[in-house]
Amino acid sequence: MTTLPVRPPLARSSDRVIAGVCSGLAAHLGWPVRNVRLGMVLACFAGGAGLVFYAWLWIMVPTADEAVRRNARRPASPIAPAVSRPAQGTAADAGSPAGAPGPVPDGAGVPPGAPWFRAHGMRYGKEILLGCGLLLVAGIMIAQLLGVDVSLGTLIPAAAVLGGASIAWMQLDETRRAGLVDKTKADQAGGWGRLAAGLALVVAGVLVMVSGSGSWEQTWLALLASVAVLGGVVLVLLPWALKFWRDLEAERAGRIRETERAEIAAHLHDSVLQTLALIQRRAGNEHDVVRLARAQERELRGWLFQDPGRESGQLSDRIKAVAGEVEDLLGNAVEVVTVGDAPMTEAYEALVQASREAMLNASRHGGGTVSVYLEASDGLAEIFIKDRGPGFELGDVPADRLGIRESIIGRMKRHGGSAAILSTGDGTEVRLRLPAAAEHAEGKS
Amino acid sequence: MNLTQGAGGGSARPANSARVVIVDDHAIFRSGLKADLDPSIQVVGEAATVEQAIAVIAQQRPDVVLLDVHLPGGLGGGGREVIAGSAALLSSTRFLALSVSDAAEDVVAVIRAGARGYVTKTISGAEITDAVFRVAGGDAVFSPRLAGFVLDAFGTAPADIADDELDKLSARELEVMRLIARGYSYKEVAKELFISIKTVETHVSAVLRKLQLSSRHELTKWAAERRLL
Repeated sequence: MTTLPVRPPLARSSDRVIAGVCSGLAAHLGWPVRNVRLGMVLACFAGGAGLVFYAWLWIMVPTADEAVRRNARRPASPIAPAVSRPAQGTAADAGSPAGAPGPVPDGAGVPPGAPWFRAHGMRYGKEILLGCGLLLVAGIMIAQLLGVDVSLGTLIPAAAVLGGASIAWMQLDETRRAGLVDKTKADQAGGWGRLAAGLALVVAGVLVMVSGSGSWEQTWLALLASVAVLGGVVLVLLPWALKFWRDLEAERAGRIRETERAEIAAHLHDSVLQTLALIQRRAGNEHDVVRLARAQERELRGWLFQDPGRESGQLSDRIKAVAGEVEDLLGNAVEVVTVGDAPMTEAYEALVQASREAMLNASRHGGGTVSVYLEASDGLAEIFIKDRGPGFELGDVPADRLGIRESIIGRMKRHGGSAAILSTGDGTEVRLRLPAAAEHAEGKS
Repeated sequence: MNLTQGAGGGSARPANSARVVIVDDHAIFRSGLKADLDPSIQVVGEAATVEQAIAVIAQQRPDVVLLDVHLPGGLGGGGREVIAGSAALLSSTRFLALSVSDAAEDVVAVIRAGARGYVTKTISGAEITDAVFRVAGGDAVFSPRLAGFVLDAFGTAPADIADDELDKLSARELEVMRLIARGYSYKEVAKELFISIKTVETHVSAVLRKLQLSSRHELTKWAAERRLL
């Protein structure tokens, strides 16, 4: 970096008279916009150097919006940068030969620019352009009145060509934006209209200039001929263009597929392959193998069936996560069935902790699969934890064992809910119940 | 798996043997399942694709088909397509769906196609044997998860009299579904509700019928939207 550590990157500003080159350059160099513009206009008289320089910057320098977007589209995934890097390179290449003294633009951030001027430029840019054009016309008319011989025959067509070309060139920014970003058809329709208008103006201007006569009959014939030629050219080039477009689309789709595949491969490698390797090493220990397989199944299921649009952190997610922990801890399967859902609250967290304790007990003492059923609605959450162990008598549990009394029953009571334990010789069921209305009362106490 | 109806359903068994066809595209799973099944169950055929399955079922006319939900071949419809292709035999041959997938979409699709039950592949040999006999006897086999789906799809509010009978569960059916979702066996459900096992089976079959016949298109939509589980 040179003397100026923070210099806004070179990008065409949205504060524009023609294409925002001058204001972008001014923002980049830190000079007043007016001076840059004046300099550019003056340079135009130096053999048209300003004109060429301006056109060059127009083509090579991205607009501020594009620069920001290009920056934003840099993917966060560790796999994707390999795909998108070439685009980054060209962006920098496009920026550097712009001849700007200073650091190579990296396409990050928006040039600050003076806000008052931007608003001013945005609102009046077109009017100023139009005013200049009218002044020019007036000047020519005055010159004619004063007796200067102005050849309208060449001037009008030249103006038409210039106007058409500028309309079509303004289009460059618009179509790029529309095509790359959201492909809004409405925008494109407007773009096509402008392209057609520009093309018509240019063709008409060129024809009048070339034919030179200005007679309508001849011009009309020439117009017809040129339209026919244009039509022929389109007819010849259309299949090629279509093929090119299709190839481009196919390539893009292929790249997306490739990225997805790489992501899947990376995920499988990190999870399933590692687990399979572990299972092979622990093949002798049935308990470990089952536990590993269960944990991996849970993880893979979550990854496969996770709905990205669904909000996470709901009560059912927490219950499933806790069930997974218990499974990992003790090795017995915990089957969770949920009906309905509710967003997490402090009281629900207590419910989750109580059910975790119940699951641990069920898994430890029941010794088999534990069934967990959660039913949540707006007003009430109920959780049932069932095992098929030998059962127990609550009265027989020593008073110093806090698991059931404190962690389950006491905790539920403190949070405005209730817990019931039903144990028979065929198994035990813990029933937890928490009305949603109780949360608020609890929250204050 | 806690598909535990076996604990008490034995008395209702219609026969003491059943002829079964296993349809699954994994040979390892087929042979494992065959070894796990009770000797009273006779495996008369196996198939790995939709076409093979339809052919074997038509030829063998088994009592029960153990049907994987995801199968190669055919038009890509998997188990659903096998049931559709064997529609003529539905009165004598019962289908029990087996799957590793817990996705509601798969479960609901195969049940609506005509399967009489749905169990996951991690189920034990004894449990699947019991499920086979239950299905062979014309009953429905509901795992806790399937009961959960039913409750989620039909809603947990009991039917009003004004409602279309097929679109809602009765209060009793809701109770039965809730208990099954909680991991209760049919016997335990019967004990809890002070009704006979036969009555429990009747309720479950009624729910299955509603699940299959309900014209509520929300049911399919609900299943498609519910990707998780």
